[in-house]
Amino acid sequence: MLHLLGVNLPDQKLVQYALPFFYGIGQKTSVKILASLSIHKTAKVAELSESQINQLSTLLSDMKIESDLRKQIRANILHHRSIGSYVGRRHAMGLPVRGQKTKNNALTARRLNGRWLRGEKREYSTDNSNRLAYPKPDSPFAALFNRKWF
Amino acid sequence: MPRSAWKGPFFVAIPGLKQALTQNIPVRTNARACTVIPSFVGLKFQIHNGKDYVPITVTDEMVGHKLGEFAPTRKRFSYRQTKNK
Repeated sequence: MLHLLGVNLPDQKLVQYALPFFYGIGQKTSVKILASLSIHKTAKVAELSESQINQLSTLLSDMKIESDLRKQIRANILHHRSIGSYVGRRHAMGLPVRGQKTKNNALTARRLNGRWLRGEKREYSTDNSNRLAYPKPDSPFAALFNRKWF
Repeated sequence: MPRSAWKGPFFVAIPGLKQALTQNIPVRTNARACTVIPSFVGLKFQIHNGKDYVPITVTDEMVGHKLGEFAPTRKRFSYRQTKNK
């Protein structure tokens, strides 16, 4: 396992398919990173040299990935929520934001929207204080939680 | 696709803007597509939602959004047992 910026990359995988283990890096970005560092696409994580790993980590530390990206997304949604715009309201209700139909399902929105307002995902948090089903009265989300939306 | 930059933001000229700012009179408007421009900050609006005029106060953060974003046009469904209520 290669431990890089808090993420474990499995040794036996191609670098191209290991990089998307980072939140915020997909196939496309991964290929671009390989090209910019001139790492061959058949290279595996175990085969990376020390200098290549260093280059990779300096490049990745400049990018907006993992918790930085999560923070940014969260801030963007909280901005909408705090000004009371339609987008923020839809996020709070856990419904599609961009005009999709809600006659059936809207499953993706139900799964994803609103989780930024409710707090971090449970698997990631290690301390138990965050595991309340409702926000604590002194948290900034308590007012949002208790408000009647309509 | 975003609007071309050379056009500038779309907004509707609001009559009596200065007077409304100084005397704190709410501006009643139907122009939901009007962009909130920096000179609107602090102003009170009553934005048409198709039925009523929703009162909002423009804050700093709202600049760049449209007025209509702040006046929801749909009512949440709430079940009623009988129709005549």
